[in-house]
Amino acid sequence: MTINQDTALAVARLARLDPSLDPVALDKLTQDFGRIVSYMDILAEVDTTGVTPMYSPMLEPLGPRPDEPKEPDPQKAEALLAAAPERSGRFFCVPRVV
Amino acid sequence: MSELWRLNLAEALIGLKKGDFTAQELTQASLDRLKAVEPKVKACLAVLEEMALAQAQALDKAGFDATAPLWGLPVTVKDVFCLKGAPTTAGSKELKGFHSVFEATVVQRLRKAGAIIIAKTNCDEFAMGSSTEFSAFGPTKNPWDLTRIPGGSSGGAAAAVVAGEGLGALGTDTGGSIRQPAGLCGCVGLKPTYGRISRYGVVAYGSSLDQPGPLAMTVKDCGRLLAAVAGPDEYDSTVSKIPLGDFVNPKPLKPTELTLGLPTELWPNDLQPEVAKVLTEAKSLLEKAGVKLVKLDLPSLKYAVATYYILATAEASTNLARYDGVRYGLRQEGAVDLDELYAKTRELGLGPEVRRRILLGTFVLSSGYYEAYYKKAAQIRRLIFADIQKALTACDFLLSPVSSLSAWPLGSFLDDPLTVYQMDLMTLPLNLYGGPGLTLGAGLGADNLPVGAQLWGRPFDEERLLAAGATLESLWPPLGRPTL
Repeated sequence: MTINQDTALAVARLARLDPSLDPVALDKLTQDFGRIVSYMDILAEVDTTGVTPMYSPMLEPLGPRPDEPKEPDPQKAEALLAAAPERSGRFFCVPRVV
Repeated sequence: MSELWRLNLAEALIGLKKGDFTAQELTQASLDRLKAVEPKVKACLAVLEEMALAQAQALDKAGFDATAPLWGLPVTVKDVFCLKGAPTTAGSKELKGFHSVFEATVVQRLRKAGAIIIAKTNCDEFAMGSSTEFSAFGPTKNPWDLTRIPGGSSGGAAAAVVAGEGLGALGTDTGGSIRQPAGLCGCVGLKPTYGRISRYGVVAYGSSLDQPGPLAMTVKDCGRLLAAVAGPDEYDSTVSKIPLGDFVNPKPLKPTELTLGLPTELWPNDLQPEVAKVLTEAKSLLEKAGVKLVKLDLPSLKYAVATYYILATAEASTNLARYDGVRYGLRQEGAVDLDELYAKTRELGLGPEVRRRILLGTFVLSSGYYEAYYKKAAQIRRLIFADIQKALTACDFLLSPVSSLSAWPLGSFLDDPLTVYQMDLMTLPLNLYGGPGLTLGAGLGADNLPVGAQLWGRPFDEERLLAAGATLESLWPPLGRPTL
């Protein structure tokens, strides 16, 4: 598959990246992206009819854990909020959404 | 300066037990060595001197504890492990100055075992890279030749071990990130089975591939570190309950008890001549000692690199969605809306290799391409798994090179990501498979650079893997340490 700059920018938007901030880097990124995707196209030659996808190498099935309530730790909550670039009381702040 | 930093973990533990030196003396010797060589090697992102010396003092005061298997032993951890009281950056500007509010399970277990963490080591940003050149804080240098890369992504960990900055280290391995730098720096590195060690508190890259593991100067030391950190954890449900085995004193395996499989796909004719020469000699030493070597085929490995880079980048794009400038880490100011905040923060905060992998991962997961790339790769992963599984029924372990090249000059492949991805062929199939792998030095090349070899084992067979590794170690020439 061929990757052009429009495709690279469209995927970047989905990834919440903005390569248009650096036009030189965008060119190189598009080229590398295209080369790598072309290489990945090698997989098309494998017949995978009826093969179950393997998403994890775990040999044992994952079961549910017991639902056990734990005491909240207010200090931990405060420490987590303290790491925010901007906060207001118990909330994380972001620029206007609407 | 005290030469105690030269000891390996097992030797140091004997000395501590006998009272030949104290935990403080040993820790101070490692810290002094670190300070002396660090300007050249640049293996560490944070040195925890005060914390380490305070811990050593507390241990000495309490007295030697034979129930603590790493009592008083100075070690390092890769900067992807969350640790209280020190920053956790994962080699990224995005996390510069970030302090975790909790500790990784393995860090807690190291401390409980009596280990003293003296530094956090450098790595490629978010563990994505094979050379440590993609650390936002500059590359680590190979202690054998400071103009060359140490491998990666746990390049800081491997370089630190070889340079004597700590007696052992913990790294992580998603596609070879422990085994390849261990091979290029000339130490021992173990990627345990997926699910052997908790990933809680480890900065995530590819969650079905990531696995923490030890690096040290000897196979036995790696076993000792593994024993201290492995096993079930209530905070990581993917950790297996399969019994651990005796990693500290595994039942020895004689050379004549070993059959090693040599996959033709991993022994190409175009290995670098220095690498080929050392490995040919290493194989000949094994055969002379009675190890049986058998050739076999793993045809699906032709697709391993493409499969891996689809699955790993897909998982990375999901895991790294959390770096958004909202809850922690870097935020680019001046965005007019939320979308711009995300895009600017990520574009300007993440490095080129990380952005490239996020982009690839987003692409293979996107509507219209998911079936052709992501699902297809997951199906081929099953074929690769079956191939390796079958190969491991015909022999005890597989034996392969770790890298087709010895440590290359810094900057050689920075503009050629695809070539570097393809060089990971020697290591990444094991992460797709999930089994354990052990790298150890096979010898020094004519260029005075280490050449590593790698054993591949069946899942949860670390005890026998360590035993086989110790047998190979006894048959191959010791690499020693470089002069710095």
